[in-house]
Amino acid sequence: MSKRFATIARKEIVDTWRDRRTIALMVLTALAVGPILMLLMLNLIANQVERAREIRLPVVGREHAPALIAYLERQQVTLLAAPADYEQKIRDGDLDVVLDIDPAFAADVAHGKAATVRLVFDRSRDRARPAIDQAQALLIGYAREWGRGRLLLRGVAPEVAMPLTIDLHDLATPQSSGSFVLFLVAFYGLFAAVMGGVAVALDITAGERERASLEPLLLTPAQPLELAIGKWLAVVTYDALIVVLTLTGFYLVLRYGPIPAVGIPFLFGPTEFFRFVVALLPLVLLVPAILVYIGCRGRTYKEAQSSVSLLLFAISIVPVAQMFLQRKEPGWVTWVPVSAQYALLTRALRGEALPALALAQSYALPLLLALGFLWLVARLLSRESVLAGR
Amino acid sequence: MIVVDDLRKSFGRRGEIKAVDGVSFTAPDGEITGLLGPNGAGKTTLLRMLATLIVPDAGAAAIDGYSIVGDRAGVRRRIGVLSDARGLYLRLTGRENIRYYGALHGLDADQLSARIGALVETLGIGAIADRPVHGYSQGERMKVAIARALVHDPPALLLDEPTNGLDIMSTRALRELLRTLAADGKCLLFSSHVMQEVSALCERIVILGHGRVVAAGTANELLARSGATTLEDAFVKLLGSAEGLAA
Repeated sequence: MSKRFATIARKEIVDTWRDRRTIALMVLTALAVGPILMLLMLNLIANQVERAREIRLPVVGREHAPALIAYLERQQVTLLAAPADYEQKIRDGDLDVVLDIDPAFAADVAHGKAATVRLVFDRSRDRARPAIDQAQALLIGYAREWGRGRLLLRGVAPEVAMPLTIDLHDLATPQSSGSFVLFLVAFYGLFAAVMGGVAVALDITAGERERASLEPLLLTPAQPLELAIGKWLAVVTYDALIVVLTLTGFYLVLRYGPIPAVGIPFLFGPTEFFRFVVALLPLVLLVPAILVYIGCRGRTYKEAQSSVSLLLFAISIVPVAQMFLQRKEPGWVTWVPVSAQYALLTRALRGEALPALALAQSYALPLLLALGFLWLVARLLSRESVLAGR
Repeated sequence: MIVVDDLRKSFGRRGEIKAVDGVSFTAPDGEITGLLGPNGAGKTTLLRMLATLIVPDAGAAAIDGYSIVGDRAGVRRRIGVLSDARGLYLRLTGRENIRYYGALHGLDADQLSARIGALVETLGIGAIADRPVHGYSQGERMKVAIARALVHDPPALLLDEPTNGLDIMSTRALRELLRTLAADGKCLLFSSHVMQEVSALCERIVILGHGRVVAAGTANELLARSGATTLEDAFVKLLGSAEGLAA
């Protein structure tokens, strides 16, 4: 055994490094694409925040409730006249929310009945949600103030009618909001770990076979397992490099990039960088083992490539599914490769420390699987049919 | 010395394709033994079995007494292999290609440097040895592939159609080199489907057809046995047809 696997790994690393065009493309993609996506995302969020801050409320029948209108104007709300077809406009997404004041408003108030206003909106539109919530909060605020005034006039303390004080205490740290950016960074970190090794892995397995250099290599005293480990190590090296470059890209952009003031302070400092690397390491070890296996199995480079795209699809669907699964993750998630890493990455981004137990669980299966795939690769390489692809 | 005794290998689901069907011969040290046969005669399968890449279904073969079935590691230390697809790494230099194989054969750094220096000298590739292989001519690639096959100084050399794709000058240079190696006492097994190639180079010739040995002996013995006046006629008579052979 000796250090033959190190010889093989070193040769594959040097050989790949000489392929300057592929390397340049890999490095550029790793450094640039993630941060560019991220800037786009942050700008989108900044726009939404802008929208939320400036409240514009189209009103129908403003003449029916002058006191309410005055209150809203005091709250810096820009009141507009609602178009006649506002319901259609809301459905189309042109308007977020419309306030419709009942023509009988004044009469109801005069008769001591509760007056009615209607808020018209379409809650299925994410973009409209801040506006809807704000309009609702404003109306509740007005109702409360009005009620307080009436009670005070009658010499009753407002607390009589409002025995409960609701003190909103949001436990979300500044970092835990902006969940979509969170998702993006975690997803892209995963993506780097999964994609980083593909080109190298296929080149040194299926590519080696296509270039007819596999047969003489198998003639050397190098054992199949040594070949498997050596090639795997080379892929792991490049995969790790890509992960570090991708994270560096994020770090630089968040630190020095033209980040719009989104009001969501987003933490990705040296600590988060380190936690990301620790969380992603199991995948950096596992995915290359799978890729080397696929590369050795495929009869041609092309065949291996199509198997890889299947693998990538299977892996990338996991975090997406997890994002849509809004409930708290079930306990077994910490064991499942990819899922576990994604969960840990989002934790790291929320500024939390990685729990040792979850971390250990997230390492267990990938390490076992990596060993299993290396064993499979060695078995493939010792078969006669490995030469038949030529 | 290579001793082959009734070697057999079949392919296909039920083993219906008999690639090598009971081949026996001996290739002595200090000589170039030619393996001549049309395409599909079983030459490559035979050489792959001798190189321990594939396991025979039946029969035995030994290289310097090391069984190709029982002691694969021993055999691999004692053979160098050169095939028509050279399988060099194009982005590495010639020297790096040779060094990689030397390291895999377990040579340490000092041995490697000395050995590579000597091979580069013998083959006359000093001027190009430190340039990437993708700029090499076919002849230069062949020389590097030979150096790589010889890096661990094996007593036996298996050559599978080594002249494919070489121009006349490179072919002549290769012949010269192989004669020198034989003169040094190495055992060379040279397979080809080109008659002229084999008759120009080999003292002994083993003619393969459909996985069997059709005839074996020196050129004169083959002429005498077939009753023909030229080697070409002799091959055609012995094989039953000239199909798949090149003049």
